[in-house]
Amino acid sequence: MHKTKLQTIYFSLLVAFICVLLPWSGTALKLRPDFVLLVIIFWILRAPNKCNIGTAWFIGLWVDLATGGVFGQYALAYTVTTFVAVIYQRRLVLFSNTQQLVYVLLLMIISQLTLLTVKIFSGNDVLGWTYFLPSVTGVILWQAAVALGLNTSRPSRSK
Amino acid sequence: MAGYHQNLDQQQAPAFFARGPSPLARLAFFSALSLALMATDSRLQYLGSVREHLMVVLQPLQLIANAPSMLYDSTNEYFSTHHRLLNENQFLRKQALIQAISLQKMKALTLENTNLRELLAANQSLEEFSQLGEILHVGRDPFTKKIIVNRGSNQQVVDGAAVVDAKGVIGQVTRTYPASSEVTLITDKSLTIPIQIERNGLRAIAFGHGRDNTLDLPFLPANVDIKRGDKLITSGIDGVYPKGLAVATVTDIQTSADSPFARIVCVPTGGIENHKQVLIVSISQPDSPANVSEASYQTGNADTTAKTTAPTKPDAAQVSASKVPVNKTPAAPVPATADINQNKKPANPTPAVITEPSTANKPHAQD
Repeated sequence: MHKTKLQTIYFSLLVAFICVLLPWSGTALKLRPDFVLLVIIFWILRAPNKCNIGTAWFIGLWVDLATGGVFGQYALAYTVTTFVAVIYQRRLVLFSNTQQLVYVLLLMIISQLTLLTVKIFSGNDVLGWTYFLPSVTGVILWQAAVALGLNTSRPSRSK
Repeated sequence: MAGYHQNLDQQQAPAFFARGPSPLARLAFFSALSLALMATDSRLQYLGSVREHLMVVLQPLQLIANAPSMLYDSTNEYFSTHHRLLNENQFLRKQALIQAISLQKMKALTLENTNLRELLAANQSLEEFSQLGEILHVGRDPFTKKIIVNRGSNQQVVDGAAVVDAKGVIGQVTRTYPASSEVTLITDKSLTIPIQIERNGLRAIAFGHGRDNTLDLPFLPANVDIKRGDKLITSGIDGVYPKGLAVATVTDIQTSADSPFARIVCVPTGGIENHKQVLIVSISQPDSPANVSEASYQTGNADTTAKTTAPTKPDAAQVSASKVPVNKTPAAPVPATADINQNKKPANPTPAVITEPSTANKPHAQD
């Protein structure tokens, strides 16, 4: 189960990336969770040897390309976020579901804060609290995936 | 169960040997890389072509992502009712008739205008050339107001081209990819547009407000002659937008005792966020419009890309060539036109905006 194939990781990242490419608009765009980051966090928990900061940085570049913003801002945000995820990875897999959820929320907010910092430096103004809604929807999506049977921590030890 | 133990073993392996460079080292390395990229991208123009090439790789993924909504649209269209189609047809026919009449007048007026300008030895107004684009999707960054349309440098779209719809200006092309281009809407914070009040000819510059879909007219004195309901049109002095297109309507004016400036809020006339088709109007005409209008999307046609990236830097001679709309040889302009260009300069003080794609990217960026 935990012998994750590299192809699986890349395929899931590709699917997440296509989710980002979907024609979102209006409110949906404001609510759109960061699919790619969620998948990266998932793989960092599950297979830290195969998905690491470098992977996150690389996929971040593609997200940058898709969003059309300044090159490197998503890459930086993902790098910082995955760093936090990686240093707490060992503790994280032992967390209960709720604890994990809080942690994922924190990670998503870290990513958004990094992005916000970069954007404010490059001259955007602050969008207000709605800016952080994608983190919330991201956590909801995470919880939905867990409820649907995605094992986010490790092979089950319930038995 | 066995898997779990194995997993635990893996967890307790000495971190540094199992995982290569420490997370901190990786963080430092990749952060530095990202920061360098950001600096290069925002301050230097090296990454433009890299971005363009990578966009080609992204194209098939984009197609996959767009497929569901396209499918939905096409089935929707297929099942549209007979009655609705008839209604629409009738409406369009009526509209075509009305427009045909005004077009006839327009032709005569254009001729008259040209003659009068010749008589006065005045500069000819620039001929514009336009093509229809379809909005592929809204920009993915909720921070900015951008749309992506399905015409790119393969279809002779150049940076800086104005984008309009049936009712007015909606934005400007700020980045071109081979098969698509990015349009910044006039409500974006980084876009400004030179306007004129239709009623009294007062010139000003409208700034996008950014957050809600409005425009601001800053730096105008509190006693300025602008009333609620005044229409703003493009002044055409920037050489980017054709003259006389509707831009916005003034909806609110506030003056306060503590500020020397009036606070003027305008609402765009064009349907900024509710149209599927837009018209891309470039004043500089890179190629003969005859074969451009026929060009459908040919993605990844290397020949056309090579041909069309060159004219994105139209020199003065090409601007003059644009006066003749069906000129098949823009590459070999008549030498005599060179001096016409020299006295054209005063009328268009900023045609340089088009001539340099790098500045055309953010021609009116406010710093």
